[in-house]
Amino acid sequence: MHYRIALFGILFGLGWIGCKTKESKDEPKKIAIVVSTLNNPWFVFLAQKAESKAKQLGYESKIFDSQNNTAQETDHFDNAIASGYDAILFNPTDADGSIVNVKNAAAAGVPVFCMDREVNANGAATSQILSDSYSGCVAIGKYFVETLNKKGKYVEILGMVGDNNTWNRSKGFHSVVDFYPGLKMVAQQSADFDRNKAMEVMESILQAHPDIDGVFCGNDAMAMGAYQALVAAGKADRVKVFGFDGAEDVVKSIRDGKIMATGMQFPEVMAQTAATFADEYFKGKRDFPGKMPVAVELVKKDNVENYAAYGEKE
Amino acid sequence: MPKPIRYLLFAVVFALLAYNSVYFRKLDEVKAGAAAFDAAGYAEDFWGKKLIPGLSKAVDLNALTAQLKTEKDKAFEQYSHALGIGNIRYFLVKGQGIVADVSENEVSVKLIGAGEGAGNVRIATEYIFGNAVRDASGAIDINAFTNSMDFNNVSAEINELIREKVVPPFKSKVKKGDRVTFHGAIELNREHLQLNNIEIIPVSLQIEQP
Repeated sequence: MHYRIALFGILFGLGWIGCKTKESKDEPKKIAIVVSTLNNPWFVFLAQKAESKAKQLGYESKIFDSQNNTAQETDHFDNAIASGYDAILFNPTDADGSIVNVKNAAAAGVPVFCMDREVNANGAATSQILSDSYSGCVAIGKYFVETLNKKGKYVEILGMVGDNNTWNRSKGFHSVVDFYPGLKMVAQQSADFDRNKAMEVMESILQAHPDIDGVFCGNDAMAMGAYQALVAAGKADRVKVFGFDGAEDVVKSIRDGKIMATGMQFPEVMAQTAATFADEYFKGKRDFPGKMPVAVELVKKDNVENYAAYGEKE
Repeated sequence: MPKPIRYLLFAVVFALLAYNSVYFRKLDEVKAGAAAFDAAGYAEDFWGKKLIPGLSKAVDLNALTAQLKTEKDKAFEQYSHALGIGNIRYFLVKGQGIVADVSENEVSVKLIGAGEGAGNVRIATEYIFGNAVRDASGAIDINAFTNSMDFNNVSAEINELIREKVVPPFKSKVKKGDRVTFHGAIELNREHLQLNNIEIIPVSLQIEQP
């Protein structure tokens, strides 16, 4: 009996201390920024913009690098939840593999706001703020058809086949281009969003199809790789290359007439929206859109002067 | 009860339980079940119940461009819509003009009452793509969609309706000098506003022969 009373007392005491600690917390709320990789300048930019917006709104924040590894990402989530972070601004490593982390955070009462990449689970994240890749590629597709004058042979170089963005971009592009039977896709291959791989893929495609008129690439790094292969083969003047992202070297190449067009994404808008949503969540708002698309803008020779890399203002 | 019968009974019960606990279905069927959203039906419904009745709210294109030149932010605030966030916004517009040129991909129109020096607008007849018509009316709520591909497909189906219903009767008759009354949607970039190259995705087109 004494043992039971002692146990009850200890449990009650712990509970009381717990309540007390939560109650007496008046330091600023903390926001964790978990990013897929900091090896790519695009994601560094995204993370930094999220961090600075969180700080500007008066919150403590810290960036965690998942190094493209879901296990590492899980560790970051566990740490963030255990260390009392109040919200997570999240750039997932894997659309499927990251779902469990988002669900764990939600179960612990920590809202998650996805930036740029999505998880394949409706309602798991509080909101997902994503580039409207599909619509951006509809615009690129339309410009592609116009510049090739509705006929010719073309190649599509895809990003990572497991990534949703790869297929949203490809579907957007084809939703326009497939209307025109005069445009024939002679090859469609993945180069994993990687510049060197795209160069190799383009080199081997050119062996089989030396007479192509256009190349559509799922990101700008691959567009630069494909362009390099075309230069080496002496075909850069004849083959029109299209990318997606709004990376610095492609914006410059559009200016120089080497690349035809790209879809400009706005990582700053996504990062700032995610931080603002977290702020609104803390203030009691709960009805966030499941997915919030961020417009992608077509950048081509006649409007490139308006744009700098990553959609930053000149 | 003799032991063999008891075992047999257990075996039957076990087999029944096991059989009823496991189901085999083709993955294609499961995926098709999850993606049961009928974009074509949604687009038809939107066209008949929201878009066409809502055309009365379209802003006069001359008045809009005049306001955009003097008070851009107010004009965007008052008349533009978009399902997402960013610089690209859509307007539901109306107007009247005289056909200046008919080409393979578009009909160029000089707006009546646009004033001297105003450029022509282009009515698209070939490249009917994008989200302009879906978003311009502001009648679709993004929260009604759980899957982003669903609202992409809604745009594609609305554009298909335009290609089927609006463009063919117009394109077959229109010629230079015709007076045209139009309702449609336009896309403008709030940050990099360009008013000299406006493209109208048509929703309703009427030709009045002079």
